[in-house]
Amino acid sequence: MNQSYDFSIEKIKNLSLKEKILRQKNLDLFYESGFPDKRVEDWKFTDLSLILNKNFENISNDINFEPNKELETIKNFEHNYIFLTNGKMISTNFEHEEKSKILIKDYNRLETTNIDPLNTLELLNNALSLGGFSLEIIKNYKLKKPLVVYNYFSVGLKNKILNNKNSIKLNEGSELILIDYNEDNTQDNFIKNTIDIVSLDKNASLKNILIQNSKCNGHFYKYIKSSLEGSSSYENYILSSGLKLNKIEIETNLNKDNCSCSIYSALNLLEDQHQEIKTRINHNSPNCKSYQKIKNVLDDKSKGVYQGKIFVEKVAQKTDAYQLSKALILSDEAEFDAKPELEIYADDVKCSHGSTSGSIDSDAVHYLMTRGIPKKEAVKLLINGFLNEVLETIANKDLKIFLEKVLERQINGY
Amino acid sequence: MLKIKNLKATINEKLILKGLDLEIKPGEVHAIMGPNGSGKSTLANVLSGKNGYEIEGEINFDGMNLNDLKIEERAQKGIFLAFQYPLEIPGVNTNIFLKTSLNSVRKARGEKELDTLTFLKLIKEKAKELNIDEKFLSRQLNVGFSGGEKKKNEILQMKLLEPKFSILDETDSGLDIDALRIVADGVNSYKNKENSFLIITHYQRLLDYIKPDYIHVLSAGKIIKTGNADLGKQLEETGYTNLS
Repeated sequence: MNQSYDFSIEKIKNLSLKEKILRQKNLDLFYESGFPDKRVEDWKFTDLSLILNKNFENISNDINFEPNKELETIKNFEHNYIFLTNGKMISTNFEHEEKSKILIKDYNRLETTNIDPLNTLELLNNALSLGGFSLEIIKNYKLKKPLVVYNYFSVGLKNKILNNKNSIKLNEGSELILIDYNEDNTQDNFIKNTIDIVSLDKNASLKNILIQNSKCNGHFYKYIKSSLEGSSSYENYILSSGLKLNKIEIETNLNKDNCSCSIYSALNLLEDQHQEIKTRINHNSPNCKSYQKIKNVLDDKSKGVYQGKIFVEKVAQKTDAYQLSKALILSDEAEFDAKPELEIYADDVKCSHGSTSGSIDSDAVHYLMTRGIPKKEAVKLLINGFLNEVLETIANKDLKIFLEKVLERQINGY
Repeated sequence: MLKIKNLKATINEKLILKGLDLEIKPGEVHAIMGPNGSGKSTLANVLSGKNGYEIEGEINFDGMNLNDLKIEERAQKGIFLAFQYPLEIPGVNTNIFLKTSLNSVRKARGEKELDTLTFLKLIKEKAKELNIDEKFLSRQLNVGFSGGEKKKNEILQMKLLEPKFSILDETDSGLDIDALRIVADGVNSYKNKENSFLIITHYQRLLDYIKPDYIHVLSAGKIIKTGNADLGKQLEETGYTNLS
């Protein structure tokens, strides 16, 4: 291990002895192998150990929770919100809803050790997590407005690591649009390691939208583990352009019949930005659907990665699974890696995957220029057209307009 | 307006235009006819600034050396090319494209850019004149449009950008009689003492609707004959091979 750390459980306040012991156990296990590097198959295209060695010195976990600016809610877009600083819940507002239908509290830290660790980052999260939120929606309650989770940060995060965990539980027949909204205007390079546990009961529906709203030197890792019961629906939209490093892992378990899961991603990567989306969809039951469409535009020296796995159990007959990744590569130094995987044990399924990458259509650029549009603008129009496609299926008009604006800002490089 | 002198154009080491001379004055309509492979589309491409051509000779547009202007600057200064094969551009909404185009041109001309509402009002009017269904405007640019719809869309763009000089490259091909009439009416209603046109076509048909002042015959990269509107009818009967 080249990297030196200064991780300390003692710095975390109000821990019971039991909790301290559990956390120390996780930390000891983490120390055995450190941050994952490219020798670990899952991290083959994102050598985290190497990246951190290059960009960090003596990573530590002591932090305060003072936000570096006042909360500014999104204008002209009605929503509820949860306000987090460095991952910890500061305040909530559910003014558009029936309050008795929504249960919100700090994440129970003792739950942290109940999951089999996915990787050493989860061990680290178990050891150092400072909280997060735990949200539950009561049976059959459909939220009237989206819920925005504002992620703000404090000053002085250089070389710090933030660990938090959230849980989102939708009871039978409930519905939620959740927007995870990252806002950072510091120039600090820090690490954020987040685990979200999502569980959807029968007929529940969750739209989970990840938005980065500013350019940021942060190095982000997010692991979303979700489990779906019968006829529930889980949709993900990833619009996280702007982060220096970002890896999002989504593991979805389709546990009962007629569930559906979709993952849409639209990324515009510039400079030396590096983003990876890794998915694993487990079809554990018959008649479930999964759909993935991953679109990347890569310029400068940026790197995009998509590792997508569809796993179909023997019992999961009539599975309908699809994945597609498309990359538009604008520079000779940019890179896109795709690793699609299908592992199928059932014999009556519809599974397909595809991956394409190419450069921008020069005839299209020419056509637009003959209409008076300067080259830079013409290319932007084409990029926008390429990425915007992932928003096509959104039926909620206000949400669609909002996301189109977010995407446009990201294409303009903020 | 446009003065071309001894224009030579080479692509992939093949000389296509071999010393072409042409002068078009304000308000004039010129037609260029000629057999396949004579260089008609190359002329249109060269005037619009398409990359890949090696160019010799002089092209003067409104006192400017055209070769000094970038592709988008040509459009901004008032040159418009209606494409023979308008491109389908997936993902790009027609209205957004038209607004971006118009505002780029207006900005370059020092005019105020139009806001969305004003633009939509204007584009609806223009679309109506050309009998274009409004719903096409909210679709992806030319994607799934029929040949006729694509060509009408080109004329719509012409009328929107208000160029001084328009090149119509085989705009009549793929049009049925009704669409041909609408396109021709669109051009005729835009024609005035200031605006000039260069119409590239294989057939007399379009010239029955848009009356040219001059017809040129292009053959093997050179204009070999120039005449008035009657030349088209004569060509229809005799073909190109009998021209001396």
